[in-house]
Amino acid sequence: MSDITPTLASGRPQRPRTQLVATGFASAVCAMMMAGALGFYMARRHASGPHPGSDWLDGLAVPNPQFDYALLTLVASLVTAHWALWASRRRDTAHAWTAIATTIVLGLGFINMVMYSMNRMGLEIGSGEYQNLAFATTGLALAIVVLGLLYIGLMGLRSLGGSVGQRGSTSLGAAVFFWDFAALVWAVTWYTVYVVK
Amino acid sequence: MSENTTASTSPGVPVEDPTPFGWLTTADHKRTGRLFIISSLAFLIMGVVLDLLVRLDLTSATKFVSLDADSFAQSFALSRETLVLLFLIPAFLGLAMYLVPLQIGASNLAFPRAATASFWIWKISAVVLIGAYLGNGGPYGGWANGVDLHLLALSGLVIALLLGAVTVATTVMTLRSPGLYMDKTPPFTWSALVTASMLVVSLPVLLGQIAILYIDHRYGRVFLLGNYGIWERIDWIHRTPQLFIYVVPVLGVAAEIVLAAAKRRVFEPLAMYFTIGLVGLFGFGAWTNFAITGEGADIIDGLEGVVLVALYAGALIATAGLLGLLGLAVIQNRKLPKISTSLLAAFAAGKLVLTGALVGLVGAAADWLEIAGRGNDGNPQLRMTTWVTGQQSVLIYGAGLLGLLAAIHWWAPKIWGRQLNELLGLLNFLVIGAGALLAFVGPALSGLLTEQPDFVYADPNATSLYSNWVDDTGAEGLSALGVAGTALLLAGAALLILNLFISICLKKGTEATEDPWSAQSPEWLLPSPPPIGETDELPMLTSGTPLLDAQEENEEANT
Repeated sequence: MSDITPTLASGRPQRPRTQLVATGFASAVCAMMMAGALGFYMARRHASGPHPGSDWLDGLAVPNPQFDYALLTLVASLVTAHWALWASRRRDTAHAWTAIATTIVLGLGFINMVMYSMNRMGLEIGSGEYQNLAFATTGLALAIVVLGLLYIGLMGLRSLGGSVGQRGSTSLGAAVFFWDFAALVWAVTWYTVYVVK
Repeated sequence: MSENTTASTSPGVPVEDPTPFGWLTTADHKRTGRLFIISSLAFLIMGVVLDLLVRLDLTSATKFVSLDADSFAQSFALSRETLVLLFLIPAFLGLAMYLVPLQIGASNLAFPRAATASFWIWKISAVVLIGAYLGNGGPYGGWANGVDLHLLALSGLVIALLLGAVTVATTVMTLRSPGLYMDKTPPFTWSALVTASMLVVSLPVLLGQIAILYIDHRYGRVFLLGNYGIWERIDWIHRTPQLFIYVVPVLGVAAEIVLAAAKRRVFEPLAMYFTIGLVGLFGFGAWTNFAITGEGADIIDGLEGVVLVALYAGALIATAGLLGLLGLAVIQNRKLPKISTSLLAAFAAGKLVLTGALVGLVGAAADWLEIAGRGNDGNPQLRMTTWVTGQQSVLIYGAGLLGLLAAIHWWAPKIWGRQLNELLGLLNFLVIGAGALLAFVGPALSGLLTEQPDFVYADPNATSLYSNWVDDTGAEGLSALGVAGTALLLAGAALLILNLFISICLKKGTEATEDPWSAQSPEWLLPSPPPIGETDELPMLTSGTPLLDAQEENEEANT
């Protein structure tokens, strides 16, 4: 190396925010993906229905209470995710483990509820325009939720697997940020596809 | 220094396998960057050959010359996808992966294994994409499962490129040397950040669309016309203004080379960063135009028309501003810089970005300017004619390929440790430059004067290419110009690969010193090429031009 510039005395500098920034970019990717899909949905809805005399939903009835409960479950999991982060920052392993496990259980419960609601609604793939669009948009939103769940589980294991320190809680913080984002994505999708329809 | 020299690293840092197997599992940004650059050059040849076959067909309005009706539609689609997703974006992504850590004083990319994963996902998806087309499964293809496979491969390509873009953007945001603030980063690094960020907020829209296209095509083909409804909804990624995002790194390359040749800093650095950022910003929004419904391509009035004209005018002014700043730096030096392949190609590439913006502006404002008598009467507009092919040619071949030629000649010493043959390089510049101009002028004039349609969405299985084409006088000759240009481009791409083979593989190129160009930016402080693997010796940077700083200090001390 040229001797014009001094080298760093400490060797490899600490980069605590790298994962958080990357998670921010990943969230932007997911946000734009959903914008593309929901934009497509809204454009088709505008072009095909609901017009007088047409039935955009093909006679389907959205089971609102089930979808509402699913959303409430997701909101509850946000609380437990932030509880996990709060505990890990205080190096409270017992509470952090409990909160992460609860978040994962609530997340799985949410996915189960959404699947049940779609089943109850009688949504069949390939049976109509609304059905195909609903499957695609809901599928993408659920994929983001599953990704968030895996991320929070993985970072939970990583941060609590040996040390609950600053670095571990930063990783968990990035995962919790993505989980918050996933919940927002679901809320927007739910409102667009199942409330406004 | 040999390419296989391994850096000494501290415990915990991944050690690179110097054997060829190490290329598969590498966690070194330099290897991943090289993989992307070389692979994209191979795909460039494929893309140009396909484009040549498509353009040969355009030389006749009544019969297919080189392809049949079915192959024409699919070759058209594959040539566009190859030139954009397999050549243009990955070539500059690879360059960014190689250079950005060296320019900002980082030991590696932020997530080096994710970068490697992005390369292999991209490579595998590319092979699957080509396989789907070979099985008659592209857009307009007859093999239904192949069409689904094409959509999945397209998703794989986009995901891979996005993964790469996120690693590059995160690296610039978080791994800069302490003291190297964002407004001090070298222009190429800044342009890489702009492109990566704009890819992150534009390409995922395609993923959302593909999910809907896939579900509708796979299950029932309820509302999107099956395989006929795909291309018009994904074509926006191959067109302007989206194309401006892909050529932003060309502006970074031009700024690096021109400023180093002029041995000056730019007159107003913030203006340089601002103009580069603006070009990327004006590229955003292509998908809002006609991508979502695929039904807006024949509408260019009202707010949409105003927005499009504003986007192109903005890109034009920003590029002109940047070129003006670089020109001022050359004038300040008061003597002509040494002419080299990289300088000529960088200068020409910058000018061609400007031309691309101008062509886009004319296309968008065609109604208002009353060019070619177009209107909202059901006839195609200028931007639905081969005018668009001309615009794509000037940006992909002109700006993109010439920019890459400049970058490869400039940074070959740092990437491979040897300089490329300069005589062959100058010939290469002339061939690619002439090819890009012909490939642009032919179809652009044909679109303007004869209204030759860009592509027939409605009836790709027609027995003649353009059954509704009213006036084809002169189009055959103008299309032949485009064919000649594409043939020259094929020769130019082959010449570039030949030069790399002779200079690098056969080791005929001059072995490079640390800084063979007397350049400015931090990567020239390092050995050529830097050893593979991560090193503990990271430069402490406070400026994007440490070599120029040192030179000026020396001059001051001597006077």
